[in-house]
Amino acid sequence: MTEVRPRSAASVAGHPLHVIFVPFPIVCFVGTFVSDLAYWQTANMQWANFSAWLLTIGLALAGVAAVAGLIDFLASRSIRSLRAAWIHAGGNVVVIVLSIINAFIHSRDAYTSVVPTGVFLSGLVVLILLVTGWNGWTMVYRHGVGVTAGDRQ
Amino acid sequence: MKVSTLLVIGVSVFALSGCGPDPVDPQRQIGANPYLPEIHQYLLPPMHVAKVVGWQGEKPKVAAGLKIEALARGLKNPRSVYALPNGDVLVAESEGPKAPVNRPKEFVMNLIEKQAHSQTKAGNRIVLIRPGKSSEAAQQSVFIDNLDSPFGVVLIGNDLYVANTDAVLRFPYQEGETQITAAGIKVADLPAGPINHHWTKSLTASPDGTKLYAGVGSNSNITENGIGAELGRAAIWEIDRATGAGREFATGLRNPNGLQFEPQTKTLWAVINERDELGPDLVPDYLTSVKDGAFYGWPYSYYGQHVDPRVMPERPDLVAKAIPPDYALSSHVAPLGMVFSVGQNLPSNYRGGAFVGEHGSWNRQAYNGYKVVYVPFKDGKPSGMAEDVVTGFLGGNNTVHGRPVGLAMDPQGGLLIADDVGNTVWRVTAQQQSAQK
Repeated sequence: MTEVRPRSAASVAGHPLHVIFVPFPIVCFVGTFVSDLAYWQTANMQWANFSAWLLTIGLALAGVAAVAGLIDFLASRSIRSLRAAWIHAGGNVVVIVLSIINAFIHSRDAYTSVVPTGVFLSGLVVLILLVTGWNGWTMVYRHGVGVTAGDRQ
Repeated sequence: MKVSTLLVIGVSVFALSGCGPDPVDPQRQIGANPYLPEIHQYLLPPMHVAKVVGWQGEKPKVAAGLKIEALARGLKNPRSVYALPNGDVLVAESEGPKAPVNRPKEFVMNLIEKQAHSQTKAGNRIVLIRPGKSSEAAQQSVFIDNLDSPFGVVLIGNDLYVANTDAVLRFPYQEGETQITAAGIKVADLPAGPINHHWTKSLTASPDGTKLYAGVGSNSNITENGIGAELGRAAIWEIDRATGAGREFATGLRNPNGLQFEPQTKTLWAVINERDELGPDLVPDYLTSVKDGAFYGWPYSYYGQHVDPRVMPERPDLVAKAIPPDYALSSHVAPLGMVFSVGQNLPSNYRGGAFVGEHGSWNRQAYNGYKVVYVPFKDGKPSGMAEDVVTGFLGGNNTVHGRPVGLAMDPQGGLLIADDVGNTVWRVTAQQQSAQK
């Protein structure tokens, strides 16, 4: 039985780069939401500073993950034929745009750098990440995107 | 893909378009009852910093009846001036401590602000200038070396007080000296520490010479370094000269400078830099008399009881106590120097009021400030519209020749202006001075 799995163009020794980088922005953006909630509840500036750094670092690494993902997407007609791939890519573009706006909101000083717009955007980004993450897993676990045949019998 | 592309474009346009409020004529924000527009918090604050080009033979422009000459050139970031009784002039060559990077924003801000400031490394010392027939003929000597971001200077008898950024020091002074080598004796500590956001400590003495007054600016724009960093800050401190004991004389003054006693009423006045990032026309900086025990709002409110939404937890009890200042100078002009016009040299329309040195704006699209203005006084209170006295600091094409900072009156009645990025001290006198002699 021959299965045709969509290949990842941006990969090293069969390991797709997108999957290597994508956890960093996800963790950073979820962390932003958590520290925003902590700031909202305590008004302790330490949490707002955490958020600002997490957002900035998250955005930088999201850029790297996006480039790798975009190469995979553009290089493979079979990836582009997947509905999950379009939801995943489109949703994550929205995540990046909202996070750029959120980084500017977080560059304000003190309370309004987080409440209400900042924490709202951080929460919205986490919700979108749940959808795009789910669709990313669909791509890998259902359609085997980037999965190469191993030594399994 | 099409939908998401549209989203990207749509949201980016929303994000980057200025969509700012209508500009307010600065004239409406000068005087006792400034117009205060609605708060406007940006996504992308308008930063507009002029490129420093220095003076290449040009001079600042002065109002009719006045003339201006360089008293001394080639200084290293002169921030404040003080005239000694014998006509010698002390200049604090000073710059702030290195700003910490606690947030990504501060990294960017530090880069931008570097552009707006002098490229010359400050001396962190006080230089004595003995005026000559021209700026070339003026003698310069290092008066007190190895200071820590000095700014305020005041002489009482033979005691010369210097406000470093972290302490008031006393030095022995004899008339005619051009150098002090004696170590300074610490009179009182001043709030400084590792953040030290507003670092200039202005200094003056009560008319009877028993008290010193030191301006201590806030440690942030609006508490973004935490309220704990603001202990003893945004205040004018009164220091007992004999014992060194200090108390907060007045509070809620975000960044008070140019501390001076009004000669007629013997009340303390100062110019205050108000908060940023509430819009191009908020909050107006101001000139005010400083009342003992009064609270002027920072950080909780501005211009009396206009609450700032960025400060949490709120303090309605303090907002209720906040009093409005006397005289608005318009927004973001950055007044850092003030002196009352004493002496008989200047034309009569420039006597008795206050000169204000406006360092100039950096966070609004249209420049504001970058000049020295005169606020007329009557019976110890401002009595009319501020007039431009010294302008021409801005060049064309977003360049700046110099920026006025500290001011002083010399014993001959000339107005002295420290110009930090121009590395010059200017002297303004009456145009007809030589004819009168």
